Order: sequence, then structure tokens, then C-alpha cells
Amino acid sequence: MPTIDDFIRPREWVSDFVSDMGRALRRWGEERYVPVRQQIDEDWREHKLVTPLLKEVLVDLGFNAAFFPAEAGGTDMPQPTTVCAVMAEELARIDAGLATACLCSIWGLVPILLPPHRNMELCMEFGPKFCGDQLYVGCHAMTEPASGADIENFGRIGGKTIQTTATLDGDEWVINGHKLWPSNSGEVGNLFVVVCTTKRGSTDPNDFALILVPADTKGVAVGSPYQKAGMSADMNSDIWFDEVRVPGRYRLHGPGDDLKYWKRAITMGNIGSAAMCVGVMKSVYQIVKKFTSERFVAGKALKEHSMVADMLCEVAILIESTSAWMWQYARELDHPEIYGWEPWDERFVLKTRGLALYASNAVERACSRAMDFMGSYGYAREFDIEKHWRDQKVIGIWMGGKGLKTLENARYWYELQTL
Amino acid sequence: MGVLYPSQEWCDEWKRAINANPMIKELGKSWGVGFNGNLVFQIQPGAGLEDTAYVFLAASAGQCTECRIVQDLAEVDYGFCVTGDYADFKEVVKGNKGFMEGVVKGVFKIKGDSLRLMRNARFVKAVADTISSVEARYLGE
Repeated sequence: MPTIDDFIRPREWVSDFVSDMGRALRRWGEERYVPVRQQIDEDWREHKLVTPLLKEVLVDLGFNAAFFPAEAGGTDMPQPTTVCAVMAEELARIDAGLATACLCSIWGLVPILLPPHRNMELCMEFGPKFCGDQLYVGCHAMTEPASGADIENFGRIGGKTIQTTATLDGDEWVINGHKLWPSNSGEVGNLFVVVCTTKRGSTDPNDFALILVPADTKGVAVGSPYQKAGMSADMNSDIWFDEVRVPGRYRLHGPGDDLKYWKRAITMGNIGSAAMCVGVMKSVYQIVKKFTSERFVAGKALKEHSMVADMLCEVAILIESTSAWMWQYARELDHPEIYGWEPWDERFVLKTRGLALYASNAVERACSRAMDFMGSYGYAREFDIEKHWRDQKVIGIWMGGKGLKTLENARYWYELQTL
Repeated sequence: MGVLYPSQEWCDEWKRAINANPMIKELGKSWGVGFNGNLVFQIQPGAGLEDTAYVFLAASAGQCTECRIVQDLAEVDYGFCVTGDYADFKEVVKGNKGFMEGVVKGVFKIKGDSLRLMRNARFVKAVADTISSVEARYLGE
């Protein structure tokens, strides 16, 4: 009898150990999170349910420590893209908002965490916090009120729309600006990785800067969370930086290298997004399989009706196709010695936009069709499809939305010059 | 010169190395508490090793209470079994490759409660890192 573990996952590339870790996370989710999942939407402001569960994943199950070096107290897992994809898929199958909060805790730190571009000084300083016994959450602060997609579209916009500035004053960075919407903002984030410019309006890659700002630094203020259509386990708010001062060493790398290694984070974000879409679709598969097996119409199970079988087939092949594509890219990113591109290569950013676009369209289609065939059960909270339908829309909108994903992918394949 | 890997002398040295490490004691304080935290390493023949060898490591509350060569899996009560080829284990003992890297890449297979492993990943890694601290010599070399 096929299960969600029978969908494409190449065992030559994704070891049984990593898959077992994913299944361990699955067991945790079934025991600890699913019983309260239908209450999470009401918890969007206070996170009274979410916070202890987030701690269980990030601290107790070691997710925060997974990529910190051993010297800093971490587990130093190899094949980071593949490992993250497995975790993203399993977490999103439980709750896409939870997956987002967990992944985004370390997402902004990719430029300093992963070899060969580790910043050991910063890893040693912040490792004890991320790898300790207390909850400590990272937040990748990119988007601003006036632009989000433009900031990520460095290939054409060049960073000239970034309004948050970082000015070196002696041995301190002075940060001024306003970020909006980052995951784990509000009262959740303890450490912000802030996308800045050292010269407003500049398109010079050397002026793009990533600066660490602890949330309790003088001059940092956060707003109340926004209530969203879904993803309630992920808190999103405003962050204001008013003459915030941090040590000079808190720039992740330096001129040129900040942007260079940030591209790896963006690529991993694209692949992680696709993995989350697969996770959501696998949950949809389980729900519709059960529903159409147990509901009888005209003397036979719903799934035995041809129109329903059409929908069921579409859900399955959307999972298969997205999975195959995702695992291929995860492997390419984790094996530059085979594929020839370094993981921060801009071409990866552009190519993986296509994957993220396809995956977000796939999950939107899967959720929508499933709801159609479940009728009123589809939009009733008790059956969880409506939650997935609301959550998945956010995946398609973030990281530049479908517009940027389309343009950047076409830019790569067709060598666009003006888009 | 070094002790032969695998051998009882090597096991004795490894046990000493584990128990001398204060970080392991701290990270492993809940390891094996309420569950079987004993490990057995099943080293498969090749590269100079003629028959399958087994290294049993009893660990609880951050301490190694026993480390010995056994003749068969049935001899011991273990919670986790790590299987790999002698050639691959040699590379880890020599310090040329990381144990966790081998596990993630599927070179070594682990059977056991994966949720426990996740909860104690830093302890498992710290123990694994001591494998290369014992000066050893090897079969087939």
C-alpha cells in the first residue's frame, strides 16, 4: 500500500539516516503538534502554543545547532541542502508556518555557517546561544516597506532600492532603517541578520552588507505581528533600527563577499520553499486519500469515480515531479565537485527560481483541487485542507513572488538582457 | 606504534578518551537515561579484516561504562547498531573522515531510535569525534 514515503526520494543521494531523522521529526509532529494544530491560527499574536513547540524543534531536537561547527557546540551536519530539504518537507507536512519559523531561524546565517565560507569568530560568539538549552531564534531581515522583490533581484536592480543603511563609525556599524515582514520578527527573533547598504542608491556589490543585530540592542524596536491568511506559527512584523550600534565584526564577511555568499542563502531558500510545498502536498495526499476511500457515492468509494481519480492522479504526479526536481537541485548544490558550480553561484539562484515557481504553482493546484472534491469538508477547519490552502499561498508570494521567480528563471535560460 | 584496531586494547583506550572528555559528560547527561543508550559497531570484513568484528560501547549519563570486543550481536543488549565496512571505519579512526559525515552520506548505517539520536546529536558527534584520538595500527597495512 503506497504511502508518502513512496514518492520520489533518491536513496543514493538521501541516506536512510537522513530520512530516518525526517521520520523522527514526523513522529514528534504527530505526537506534539498535530493535537493542537487547529488552534494555531488563533495563536498568531501571542504564540503561547507555538513558542514551546518551536523550542522543542530548535533546541530539544537540535535543529538550531545542526550546521554550527562542533567547536561552537553544533552538530556540523554535511550535505546541508539535502538535510534542510528533508526537514523542511517533514515540518511543512505538519504545519508550513512551523517549518518557516524553524528554517528561517538559521537561514540568514547560511553565509557564516556553511563551509567553505564559515566565519568562525561569529560562529564561536553566537554558537553557544543557538546550540544551548534556551530558545534563541534567528531572523533574516530583508524586505522593506517599499521593496522586497527588488532587494532580491540583485542581478538587475543591484541593491539600489535598499533603504536600510550601515555606516562604519570607528569600529562600530550604525544601522538605520525599517524592515517589514521577516519571519521570526515581532517578539520572536533574538538575532537579526539585516540586509543593508553602505551607500544608499548604490549598485556596487561591495556596498551590499549583511550585519548581525541582536534584538535587544539599543535602538531596535519591533512592531506587533500582522495577522495573515495563514502561516500563523510564523510571526511577521515591522523592525525599526534607529542609530543602532553593533561591533564592526558583526558584518558577516565584508565587501563583495556578503553578497556572494548571500546568494547561497537565496538558493537554499528556493529549494527549501519547494521542499515545503512537497510537504504540504504530501499532507494533502494523505487527507484526500483517506477522504475518498471512506466516502461512498452511488455505491462505490469516491476515489472509484473517474473525475475524482483525475484529481487524485494530479495530486500524486505534482508531488512526484516537484520532488524529483527538488532532489536533483539539492544534490547539485551539495556536490560542486560533481556539477562544477559553487553553491553560491548566481546561476543557481536563477535556476532554482524555476523550481520554487513550479512548486508553488503545484501546491496551489493540489490544495485547490482537493478542496473542490471534498466539497464543504474542504473548507471546514476540521479537515485541515483549508489550512494548507491558506498557508501555501504565502510560499508562492515570498522571496520575490511569482513575478521575480519567472523573470529570473527566464533570465537564466534565455539570457535576457533587460529583464 | 599504536594499538590494533579493532582490539580490546583499542576499546580500553577509546573508553579512556571518552571518559576524559568533560564536554561529553555534559552533553550526554541524559543519554541512556530511560532508554537503552548502548551502541554496537558492526565492522564488516575487507581491507585486511577477515571476519565481521563487533565493538560494544555501553554509555549512560555521559559516561562510557563498558567498551569491549564481542563475538556476536546476540551477546549484548544494545539500543543502537552502527554498521559499516572496515575500510570506512579505518578512515574515521585515522581521522581522515568524519563519522557523522559517513552517517549522513549513508556510508555507515545506524539502526535505533532516531528521535533519541536527534535529541542527542551533539553528544553522539562528540563521542564519534573521540574515535580518532586513539593512536592505532590497522589490519591490512
